[in-house]
Amino acid sequence: MTEPAVHVHNLWKAFGQQLAVAGVDLTLPAGKFIGLVGPNGAGKTTTLSMVTGLLRPDQGTVEVVGHDVWKDPAEVKARIGVLPEGLRLFDRLSGRELLAYTGRLRGLPGTEVDKRATQLLDVLDLAGAQHKLVVDYSTGMRKKIGLAAALLHNPEVLFLDEPFEGVDPVSAQTIRGVLERYTGSGATVVFSSHVMELVESLCDWVAVIAAGRIRAQGPLAEVRGDAATLQEAFLELVGAHGRDAATDLDWLGGGSTR
Amino acid sequence: MTAPAAAPAAPAAAPSLTPVFVRLKLSLLRNGLRQSSGRRAAYVASAVVALLFAALQLLGLILLRGDEHAATVTVILVAVLALGWAVMPLFFPSGDETLDPTRLVMLPLRPRPLVRALLVASLVGIGPLFTLCLALGAVIAVARGGAAVAVGAVAVPLTLLLCVALARAVATANVRLLTSRRGRDLAVLSGLVIAVGAQLVNFGAQRIGSSAEGLGELEPAADVLGWIPPSSALSAVHATGEARYATAAAQLILSFAALLLLLHLWQRSLTRLMTSPDGSTLAAAEPDRRQRGGGLFARLPAGRTGPVMERTLRYVWRDPKTKAAWVTSLAIGLIVPVFNALQDTGSVYFACFAAGMLGIQMYNQFGQDTSAFWMVAMTVASTRDAYEELRARALALLVITLPYAALVTVLTTALLGEWHALPETLGLSFALLGAMLATGAWSSARYPYSIPQQGHKNVAPGQAGLAWISIFGGMLAAAVLCAPVLALTIWLHTAGHGSWTWLLLPVGTLYGVAVTGAGLRIAAPRVARRLPEILAAVSKG
Repeated sequence: MTEPAVHVHNLWKAFGQQLAVAGVDLTLPAGKFIGLVGPNGAGKTTTLSMVTGLLRPDQGTVEVVGHDVWKDPAEVKARIGVLPEGLRLFDRLSGRELLAYTGRLRGLPGTEVDKRATQLLDVLDLAGAQHKLVVDYSTGMRKKIGLAAALLHNPEVLFLDEPFEGVDPVSAQTIRGVLERYTGSGATVVFSSHVMELVESLCDWVAVIAAGRIRAQGPLAEVRGDAATLQEAFLELVGAHGRDAATDLDWLGGGSTR
Repeated sequence: MTAPAAAPAAPAAAPSLTPVFVRLKLSLLRNGLRQSSGRRAAYVASAVVALLFAALQLLGLILLRGDEHAATVTVILVAVLALGWAVMPLFFPSGDETLDPTRLVMLPLRPRPLVRALLVASLVGIGPLFTLCLALGAVIAVARGGAAVAVGAVAVPLTLLLCVALARAVATANVRLLTSRRGRDLAVLSGLVIAVGAQLVNFGAQRIGSSAEGLGELEPAADVLGWIPPSSALSAVHATGEARYATAAAQLILSFAALLLLLHLWQRSLTRLMTSPDGSTLAAAEPDRRQRGGGLFARLPAGRTGPVMERTLRYVWRDPKTKAAWVTSLAIGLIVPVFNALQDTGSVYFACFAAGMLGIQMYNQFGQDTSAFWMVAMTVASTRDAYEELRARALALLVITLPYAALVTVLTTALLGEWHALPETLGLSFALLGAMLATGAWSSARYPYSIPQQGHKNVAPGQAGLAWISIFGGMLAAAVLCAPVLALTIWLHTAGHGSWTWLLLPVGTLYGVAVTGAGLRIAAPRVARRLPEILAAVSKG
């Protein structure tokens, strides 16, 4: 396991005048639980989209498990699982139909797909809703069925964009359990989030992104450094420290109307 | 609670709600227009068209004054207008944010002043202005004598208020339905009513046009409508002019009562809406969909083809946008050749319409996926994958299209009794279908665009040009692609080889298959190469 799971070199992407990703360099080790953290609008989704081949970069190279995403898509797509944020699923299928469709599209034999789908639905606590349309699922259920679809072909690297966003604590715990078991077997999870406590409790490797650039990357302890929490270290890194709202808003509190 | 609109202003010192809501509506309108110049242009253009239309209508109605059918025409016009007001909120549920009660739930508002404020605010806009013009014109057309003019002065605002209150009452009653997924699906499908309804109105108008009595045929309908608000207000003006005062009074009272009833109903559903949980929780009661795929779906081919066909066919039934598009195509593909045949104006070649209309469904394949296309993009790694994806979609289409086009062709032929033309028409249909599939596949790859999931627009803002190029350019190209088969048909007929036209069935079929295959092969590498670009283009909805 010397080869990095993901190697990103000098990645750029602009939308019109807006520079979303400005020269990202990343080397993510295999077999780790990796958190990509940054404030809203930092370029997390854009970076992940380019890494997974869903968005074409303006410049730069991306290698996943040693294969170039844009030159060798067949090798890469077979080895990765993706759960994007803000893109729909084929939500007019039921949960089970969605898994059956995805698995067969991935080239797995039908009986194997059905077996794995049943297990995933069970583990993710979706068995009771498997015959309901995904469009009628709650946010947490959608994330879980998306995760199931991403895991179905047993990928080497799993990319999850904000997998815990809008998810209730029970579903979050379920997702967490599945992901921990998955990395325990030597696979790599790369997920983005802006919730530092979550990243701190889950990840052993962290990359901090802000304004389209990587501010720090490395093992959690290294990135955290001397700071008490990752949150502190993060605020320091993105330069958001020292803003204090206490001086204004002196009228706030108490609830009287005038 | 009998007269909410006429209730005196609340004695409290709180400022009146009405001007607040009118200002809110105006600023929402202004801000909406400020967002983009395209939207501004669209709004100005629609305003100009509506006002022009209203002015013309006003002029027409004034000219109608004194005509023997004036009363009939105006009563029916007002009835149609009221119907429009009633149906409008079903089509544009989110058309007016000031009137969306779900946005007001958190505010401490009493229902009665709220209803009054909302009613006044809904009088601002192009629609009410248009209605005002029409009501005014209608009164001018039928009012004879001072008394009638006086009644008319009441009838115009009454009509306007009735229309607006009707729309609001229907909209509020429907919010519960429209906030649930199933309700929104139904709202999208209701677009079909327009598509099919327009065809029926068209044939109805042709019948009136061809009938000797003309407008006189409508008189019994107008007599009934004259007692239904808001047409009754107008009917009262006419009755006053003819000195039928009792009738006039009854019709006027009826109109007032209707207005009060509507306001009462509106207020009641508004109160209920603002004090009970919203309808989105109804989704939890959605039915299960057990695997019923035993029959057809089990027999689909293995590999990528089977699952893609299965999903495509399921979407035809389950996705409201796709379903609406299909039903429209199926309906028009049948109505045009068959109705024309029924009226003896048809030609057997009109049967090709079915193939043409259904072939349109191949266009913008990936736009129909919406942003869920990423799931396809993640599994397409080569030109071969892209080819199989496109081929499976074309096959799914053919499962419905082939039998349907054949059925329409046979039906049209039977109605016209031109059995000798059946083989060549079928051949032409299949050739056209093949050409549509080929150009559809190619333009799906080259000119993808987003289909918004809500509302009735089928193109995302800013992509209308793309959609036009995709569909009309594609249809033109399809016609050109069909040229060899068309040329052969014409040559067989003009050169006197009429007995050989059966040859067109195998030739057209083979040609269709070959053209489709070629189209898919040309489109596939483009799809494989442009996956991120296609995803970006179809994710705007």
